Amino acid sequence: MLCEECGKNQAEVLMTTVVNGQSATRHLCRECLKKYQAGDLQALLAAILSTMAGKLQETDEETPDIICPKCGETYAEFQKTGMLGCAECYQAFRKELAPVITRVQGRSQHAGRRPPVSEEEQARQTKMEELRSLMEAAVAEENFEEAARLRDELRAMTPAREAKA
Amino acid sequence: MSEIVVSSRVRLARNYEDLPFRNKITKEQSEECVRRTLEALRPLPQPYTFLPLKGMEANEKKALVEAHLISPDLMEHEETAAALIRDDEKISVLMNEEDHLRIQGFTLGENLNDAAECAFSIDDALQEQLSFAFDPQWGYLTACPTNAGTGLRASVMLHLPMLTAQKQMGKVNQIAAKLGLTLRGIYGEGSEAQGNLYQLSNQVTLGKTEKEIIDAVAATARQMAEMERIYRHKAEDKDAVAFEDQLFRSYGLLTNARRMPIKEFMAHWSNLRLGAALGKLPVSLKTCDALLTAAQPAHVQKAAGTALNDKDLDAYRSELIRNALV
Ligand SMILES: [Zn+2]
Ligand SMILES: [Zn+2]
Repeated sequence: MLCEECGKNQAEVLMTTVVNGQSATRHLCRECLKKYQAGDLQALLAAILSTMAGKLQETDEETPDIICPKCGETYAEFQKTGMLGCAECYQAFRKELAPVITRVQGRSQHAGRRPPVSEEEQARQTKMEELRSLMEAAVAEENFEEAARLRDELRAMTPAREAKA
Repeated sequence: MSEIVVSSRVRLARNYEDLPFRNKITKEQSEECVRRTLEALRPLPQPYTFLPLKGMEANEKKALVEAHLISPDLMEHEETAAALIRDDEKISVLMNEEDHLRIQGFTLGENLNDAAECAFSIDDALQEQLSFAFDPQWGYLTACPTNAGTGLRASVMLHLPMLTAQKQMGKVNQIAAKLGLTLRGIYGEGSEAQGNLYQLSNQVTLGKTEKEIIDAVAATARQMAEMERIYRHKAEDKDAVAFEDQLFRSYGLLTNARRMPIKEFMAHWSNLRLGAALGKLPVSLKTCDALLTAAQPAHVQKAAGTALNDKDLDAYRSELIRNALV
């Protein structure tokens, strides 16, 4: 049989991949196998991106390309290279990236190390926790006017990025 | 453990919040990346060497790759790429690679925790003063989303001669894949693993803590080492003379040959290390592992001091090997 990746060479090996607890087997030629072994997840990502791109085109061809306002990278560029242009790209392409990242990584929420929190940020978080408990108390006392005021104050303190998420 | 696990490595991918990633970065911004990294790491207590790739001799760069101190990928960006290497070679910080920073911790034998501590110490020192791109959901942001989250790659180098000889690597590969890990040959191309040396590492970087990732790689490495040990005993039990004969033949060749091509060296080196691990050959593991790097092409070329053709290179390699072993 022919290689399922390139469709040109004779398939010589059976490759098993396990992503997200689901295993898949594919018949590959030596050349294509090398690509997978060398590129780790990168080749897999490219494969996923190209299938997703195909699907997107089928459903609505008129979709204008999304552009990162900071570095000017387009989503189409990312689909071609698998590389993002800057940290802001993750925000600009958030909706499109989310299913791709979840599929490649198997999970969608970071765990582990974080940047140290500045004193300013620490103070902001403490203040927000205070406001939140005051608001809950106000609701419990049926003081809805006060609760609404606290809610607005809380909203004003939430950075745009967190509010979106 | 070190009779099977040769070394451990932990790598962290980090990017500065305000600078574009590799595809969009300008030369000036790349220089800024190097400048601020060096500035922030200046107060580190131990001696480091700073190596900008630009202008470095081609063989020198290859030798750094052979010693795993820089990545082949770093060489592709030599206009702006640089490395900061601690003099004991346990820490290296690569700048302007696929990500702004690749922080690597390294130890001999199985000690991923130690390697991780090395990498984290640099990460901490940098984060105290500078801001990395970070997202509450996706963790540390990287040029390629396959590295986002912890940005951590934990890997161990395993010497698995008997599992390879007994055609068990397919099975071993499946064990790795089931656990979300990958196993690949370190030397040689494609499915061929020269020297029977393999790298086991994690694929997924998001959603698990650094400790969970490291523990998974370490536990799997231990499991594979145990399998290898069993097959070593089996081979010896089956025909002890044949087993020793194979080891001593390689030792004989390495200590007598007058021309040693790299591929042939790698095959005999595997037997040499196996013999050293089992205490059957008069050579230490330390000597074996040092020789592995010292006999690679750019290292031989460097030791010779002058440009050698392939035949002379093989002759000089055989001399280096004899000097190390006899
Ligand atoms: Zn193919
Ligand atoms: Zn961008």
